[in-house]
Amino acid sequence: MSVIESASSRWNTYIVTVIICVALLIAGILLSVSIGVIDVSWKEVTRALLGKAQTKNELVISTIRVPRTLMAALVGAGLAVAGAMMQAVTRNPFASPQILGINSGAALIVVLSIVLYPSMSPTSLVLAAFAGASMGGALVFALGYTNDERAPVNLALAGIAVSMFLTAMTEGFIVLYDNQTQSILFWLAGAVHGGTWSDVYTLMPWMGIGFFISILLSRNLTILSLGDDIAKGIGLKVHRIRLFVACAVIVLAGSAVSVAGPIGFVGLIVPHIVRYIIGVDYRFVIPLSALFGAILLIYADLISRFIAFPFESPVGIVTAAIGAPFFLYLILKRRRAS
Amino acid sequence: MKRSMLKLLFFGLAVLLINSGCSNAAGNNKEDVQTSGEISEVKTVAHELGEAQITGIPKRIVALEYSFIDSLVTLGITPIGIADDNNPESIIGPIKEKLGNYTSVGSRYEVNFELISSLKSDLIIGDISRHKEVFARLEDIAPTLLLKSHGATYSENLSSFPVIAEALGKQEAAQQLLQKHQETLDELKKSVPENEQRTILPAVVNAKGFYAHTTQAYAGSLIEHIGLKDAIQSDVAYPQLTLEQLIEYNPDVLILMKSGTEETIVSEWSKNPLWEEVNAVKNNQVYEVDRGVWSLSRGIISAETIAKELIALLYP
Repeated sequence: MSVIESASSRWNTYIVTVIICVALLIAGILLSVSIGVIDVSWKEVTRALLGKAQTKNELVISTIRVPRTLMAALVGAGLAVAGAMMQAVTRNPFASPQILGINSGAALIVVLSIVLYPSMSPTSLVLAAFAGASMGGALVFALGYTNDERAPVNLALAGIAVSMFLTAMTEGFIVLYDNQTQSILFWLAGAVHGGTWSDVYTLMPWMGIGFFISILLSRNLTILSLGDDIAKGIGLKVHRIRLFVACAVIVLAGSAVSVAGPIGFVGLIVPHIVRYIIGVDYRFVIPLSALFGAILLIYADLISRFIAFPFESPVGIVTAAIGAPFFLYLILKRRRAS
Repeated sequence: MKRSMLKLLFFGLAVLLINSGCSNAAGNNKEDVQTSGEISEVKTVAHELGEAQITGIPKRIVALEYSFIDSLVTLGITPIGIADDNNPESIIGPIKEKLGNYTSVGSRYEVNFELISSLKSDLIIGDISRHKEVFARLEDIAPTLLLKSHGATYSENLSSFPVIAEALGKQEAAQQLLQKHQETLDELKKSVPENEQRTILPAVVNAKGFYAHTTQAYAGSLIEHIGLKDAIQSDVAYPQLTLEQLIEYNPDVLILMKSGTEETIVSEWSKNPLWEEVNAVKNNQVYEVDRGVWSLSRGIISAETIAKELIALLYP
């Protein structure tokens, strides 16, 4: 098969996948805005989505369900793209925002803020969580980056060490100050059901920046994922690219966690599914990861509404229920291969 | 090399995932049963997790939940040790004024066994939902009663009062106190008109969420007990609600249980035009109360305080 042929067949796969994903995404969004404790008609859904919300039900759709759905989509996409980038630069199939300290960093700072400054507004709480996410990520990247000659394993190990340390501190605070923090546990499991328009607006610029950087870096990510030697051999500035990736990951995953809590496994499993379909070319992997991540979290959020109906359950429970078996499957697959 | 790296990663992840929070303080001090000169009567008191053998009348009591402090103070006894989460302010005013000196034994969640045993306690009262796992270790220190408190309804909570009284040999006094309590509530109940239609929703609010207290929660079941109606009839005690769910349940009266002056999710919700759709907001019947009294304390004294406050709010 010639190179051109294989390239064009990849484009075909890509386009077909994108079409299917967009269809799934639209279906998911429609389901998400029409299902809830308040029954609404399709007419009300249409009016609300066209921006003509007036009645109570239409306002429920436009001011509660639409931002919730958008938040799930953005958070899912952000975590998935962050995970894809991490797996490319670390060449470690288990790399994800959850493992590399970002989730736990954000969680720690949010819990700390609530304990020490109970009068903090939800808006500044979001900013604090963002700082924590950056801190956790930066700490891991700093440790894994300087320890040894760019050995990717170090990054993951540093990440696990830092995550455990930060999580231990968070739990320590919860135990010590339980009166104030008991209700944070729900958020700690990862939840999008409280998403408001202001959360969406907080999220959008950060996500925009993150996606933009990740698309710009996608070609370099493909080369980096082949190994540092090859990347250096063709004159790639590996250090600099890694630094950009680190920034993009912190921005994407950090802002996602800051509004939705530490939702696990999305960043871990989505890149694997995408690479299985499309291969290791990150020009395709990045946009598809964004789509898959959004789809995964929207449907997971839909499922979470029915676990304890009529009450809400954290969406993190659903992603963990899907992600944990997948993670075990990954390990078994690798064991068989080696 | 690759294998061991995988194993290490897997192990690390497993630890991250499981995150077992079961760190127990070391030191399993076994106190000898103190035998004084006089011959003390041994009685058996049944509780939620078996039976306790109690010798004589306990004098040095440790209470591991707020509701047991309430019960003890009602019986005129100051416990020697209290799990007050290292925060004396968390004990509500009406209880504190009747409470003598005590030693804080720290958090209700992380029981400090060494401190408790150093108090030479002769009776420990713990919560069945919180202290089930450490029951054996508490028993090693002193006879232990595990009773219902956290996540229990008003009547379930009240049922622990006679048990405590029995352990202290104060059954008769308890009988009278219970009767008096019943009369107080009955008197307050008279203020509720026959045709009262309003639904009431007590809810804990903080920065991260809105937690409704249903008929299974303490405040919710107490509201029902005095002839009012909780907006959410459910066997889930403290469900977290979204604004959409609040609108669906649409309570006529909203009681927001807050601690201090913290910024809560309500300030965010009140910007939404739908907030005005909630009956309680429309009727201007959104009240803020102390979470300590309404949700943490859960006992005879707090029940009367809650009921009085509620009646005063509803029928000014």
